[in-house]
Amino acid sequence: MSEQQPLAPTLPLGDDRPRLASWRLFLSNGLTVASLCVLVTVVASALLAPWIAPYGVNAVDVAQQLQPPSAAHWFGTDDLGRDLFTRVLFAARTSLLVAAISVAFALVVGGVLGIVAGYAGGILDTLVMRIVDVMFAFPVLLLALAIVAIFQPGLWTTIFAIGIVYTPIFARITRASTLTVRTTPFVQVSQTMGTPVASILARHVLPNITGPLIVQTSLSLAFAILSEAALSFLGLGIQPPSPSLGGLLFNAQGFLTLAWWMSIFPGVVIFVTALAFNLLGDGFRDVLDPRQRTIIEARRTR
Amino acid sequence: MRAVPVLKFVGLRLLSSAVVLLGVLIVVFAIVHLVPGDPVRLALGTRFTQEAYDALRAASGLDRPLPEQFASYVWSALGGDLGVSFRSGQPVTGILLDRLPATLSLAVAGIVIALVLSIPAGMWSALHEGRVSDVIVRISSQAGVSVPDFWLGMLLITLFSLTLGWLPSSGYVAFGTDPVGWLRQVALPGLTVGLVAGAIMTRYIRSAVLDVATMGFVRTANSKGLPRRIVTFRHIMRNALVPILTIAGIQLATILGGVIVVEVVFAWPGLGRLTYDAVAARDYPLIQGAVLLVAVMFLLVNVIVDVLYAVVDPRIRLA
Amino acid sequence: MNRVITACAAAIATALVLAGCSAGQSVDLGDTGGSGGALNAAIGGEPDQLDPQKTSSYFSFEVLENVFDTLVEPDENLEMQPALAERWETSDDQLTWTFHLRDDVVFQDGSEFSSADVVYSYRRIIDEKLANAWKFSTISDISAPDDSTVVITLTQPTPNLLSNLGGFKGMAIVQKANVESGDIATAPIGTGPFSVSEYTQGDHITLKANPDYWGGAPKLDGVTFRFISEPATALAALKSGEIQWTDVVPTQQVDQLEGDSSLTLGQEPSSDYWYLALNEAREPWSDVRVRQAIAYAIDRSAILKAVSYGTARENQLAIPEGSFWYTPYDTYSTDLAKAEKLLADAGFSGGTLDMLATSDYPETVTAAQIIAANLEPLGIEVNIRQPDFSTWLDEQNNGNFDMLMMGWLGNIDPDDFYYAQHHTDGSSNAQHYSNPEVDALLDSARVEVDKDKRKDLYAQAATIIADEGSYIYLYNPAVIQAWSPSLTGYETRADRAIRFRDAALND
Repeated sequence: MSEQQPLAPTLPLGDDRPRLASWRLFLSNGLTVASLCVLVTVVASALLAPWIAPYGVNAVDVAQQLQPPSAAHWFGTDDLGRDLFTRVLFAARTSLLVAAISVAFALVVGGVLGIVAGYAGGILDTLVMRIVDVMFAFPVLLLALAIVAIFQPGLWTTIFAIGIVYTPIFARITRASTLTVRTTPFVQVSQTMGTPVASILARHVLPNITGPLIVQTSLSLAFAILSEAALSFLGLGIQPPSPSLGGLLFNAQGFLTLAWWMSIFPGVVIFVTALAFNLLGDGFRDVLDPRQRTIIEARRTR
Repeated sequence: MRAVPVLKFVGLRLLSSAVVLLGVLIVVFAIVHLVPGDPVRLALGTRFTQEAYDALRAASGLDRPLPEQFASYVWSALGGDLGVSFRSGQPVTGILLDRLPATLSLAVAGIVIALVLSIPAGMWSALHEGRVSDVIVRISSQAGVSVPDFWLGMLLITLFSLTLGWLPSSGYVAFGTDPVGWLRQVALPGLTVGLVAGAIMTRYIRSAVLDVATMGFVRTANSKGLPRRIVTFRHIMRNALVPILTIAGIQLATILGGVIVVEVVFAWPGLGRLTYDAVAARDYPLIQGAVLLVAVMFLLVNVIVDVLYAVVDPRIRLA
Repeated sequence: MNRVITACAAAIATALVLAGCSAGQSVDLGDTGGSGGALNAAIGGEPDQLDPQKTSSYFSFEVLENVFDTLVEPDENLEMQPALAERWETSDDQLTWTFHLRDDVVFQDGSEFSSADVVYSYRRIIDEKLANAWKFSTISDISAPDDSTVVITLTQPTPNLLSNLGGFKGMAIVQKANVESGDIATAPIGTGPFSVSEYTQGDHITLKANPDYWGGAPKLDGVTFRFISEPATALAALKSGEIQWTDVVPTQQVDQLEGDSSLTLGQEPSSDYWYLALNEAREPWSDVRVRQAIAYAIDRSAILKAVSYGTARENQLAIPEGSFWYTPYDTYSTDLAKAEKLLADAGFSGGTLDMLATSDYPETVTAAQIIAANLEPLGIEVNIRQPDFSTWLDEQNNGNFDMLMMGWLGNIDPDDFYYAQHHTDGSSNAQHYSNPEVDALLDSARVEVDKDKRKDLYAQAATIIADEGSYIYLYNPAVIQAWSPSLTGYETRADRAIRFRDAALND
């Protein structure tokens, strides 16, 4: 998976050109709206899984094994006779949870590191950025594998591994934004005046980093879902019988020609969710990145 | 600002890479030492006798103080000695070099397929910016990025191997031994890698071509009355070539690190599958060696790409 | 600009050339003889090494079965037959065995074979305390009075000496020079029908026919073993003709494959058995009634269906039907009421159970999930752990489990099935079972020479073992292999040994 380069940080606008409200521009893009709807559906279904699932998640009924999709079992059954729709719902739940926590981890840890590095500058900046560079030197899945090799595979190892692996990108983004802001007259004056650091951070840095962070969060959620699926598929992520989307595909490998539904449905859910997060991130970028935004608005007024 | 002269830039870049390399060595070295429990016992598993344990522990030098172990590890690594596999007792360096060609050939095949797909797609998309075909290409490329590569591999196997029987689903023949055989074997895994890489590259190529297409000299060429096709291919391609090759280079590095899952699905005997087997078997020296090699290659490709780009475009060398 | 293009093109070309050069380090020992074609076989994993006396990996033995010989070897009915030894005598007191070796045996590098090699091989196992040293535990002396005779002296009568010496290739006869140079791990030299000619780590091992094999030169030119762990991949390769033999056949495909005329399916009941064991060093599993309750609660037919798709045979003891030593036993059935009553009697009202399965054997994971569902109504909450096999072994040996599931493979003599696992002093008694009556039965059966008396002793011991739930036996799996119709002269064996010495490929 590629790492996106950090966005150009947004600068405060000086003029009073009439601009579309951000949310209107956001919603004008059909793709973005569709992605949002898909995500809301997926997340809602996953969260409500315990209430809307028709069967128990581990309700074994071997006599019913390998049934194709039907009215009784919308997604068919797996090799132990468990309802696949139920399994997919709970799996989506776990996968989304893992993605959310690991990206939150990366966001907080990486973000803070980046702000500290960007604001403090000097040796601290160099130190933090060298560490970030070292982490960037490892391909994503390889680093995650190395972490799993150290600790036993499992839920928390997976969250930790994915979190660590995506921390550097957040650090770079917040550092870039913080650096830009730090050299502006506003901030330098505030510093001379003796304004507390926290206040400067809150008033100047935070609004600046929010845009790029939102975009990156959406993109990282997409990659986190794909990473978790890959780890679980290799048998090194979430361990059975806890369902996870990658784990369901791992199980499906033995039944490719016997039970196509076992490999199609979980894969489609991963694909659609990741795609929705990616398109959403694109949508955010269109709105929050001034260059892109200018082009779009210019086209609209033509 | 003045542009830094090339040599100084290269020198600085290499220096910072050396620092990063040191960091990489520290991380790799740490892998064994962060393991909760006793890595030697974990690795011996079934073949656990006191003699074997003592022998392995002594051979891996785990009772010496940490800094001394690290120094000795780095020194040996620089000399090409990466230790001995816990599982087979064979030298790690030899095992890695055995498996490297397979991964390299897969990566090259993947990049070639990716370029074949993404250059036309990226260019078309850029030149028809805003139109329906552009949107289609953009969505397709997003789709390519969002699809799990192992799932894509499974689907390709199901279609082309199991159902149609056109292509083999596994196995490897070295290019040097039998080029045609290699081509058949690499088709499906290469396609899996290439489709995803191509999707990623399409977006960047599109941006690169867009940047070039809006440049002044293109408008000048247009106004001179040159046929549009000539303008397109000569001027745009020539100027977008460097960014495209840069993207290809970066993507190659990414592939080198990311082929693990594809190699597992297609039983391709490369570094990725080796790493996965080593992780499953807790073969720590082998894990360390594989991670180090891939990280170094990754670093190397990035440095080369940066340097090449900087040689060509002085703006990059601004200090 | 053009220079950049040229440079990049050169770089790509270099990469391709590098990628093309060399596909492995290995020894290439000349050309092939024979005229029967080269067989491509797919096995499920890579051997960890090729030293038969040191490896414990089944993948290694799949290959080494064709490279080495033992003094005696099992035939298709698992009866011990002459191999390197063409005949033998036993002294009246059963303590001295004299083996007479064949005189037409040579090692694959052309060097001579003699009794000295037998003595060297066995002494190596005993003195270096290698994995199978326990099979030699009653041997007090091994000597070679002349080049073609080996005399083995025992401390007590050992009716299963033959199966101990030749049950599988772990007791293979090796060459001293090959061992001492260390080459045996990657370039072994044996006396068998095929020799190792090439080994590409991670991909395949190639054997070539040994024209001087004492059993007659093989019809095949050679065999290449490829390592494919994915059943779908292996089957696809078989169907497309890339390989002609594989044992990576998932049981769920058997139905489909039986009706497939484009390949031959070999299915044979094996002498393997799979079982559950409860840790009797922990409460409440130390109470026999709790163990019996679990034996009554599990749904054996569901487990069998999910794990073997009808290919395995349910068995509540270890020794499979079809063996002379088989004992019928069916005390247990799926009876939740009985299970609840037993638990109530024992005063156990529910709790958690730490189930140790392993990711390296997916059948344990599948079965564990069914067992979890079976035990839930009893108030027992099952937590499934599935480390890799090495860690699993550690956990088992440290007593770090409540229940585990595992199988014992390649058993031939009834002593193999029961002694080490259920004797108080047994080396594989991880569940800490101890019953003096069973100990006495197993000890006398070990030295009993009369076959019928021996069978009765084992029947008694096995019945007590199952009654008391030392192991809760589940099933005997089938050996399932698939091969191309063009492969003849090969049959599936109950001990899972893979022998290609009589095989041929016809077009």
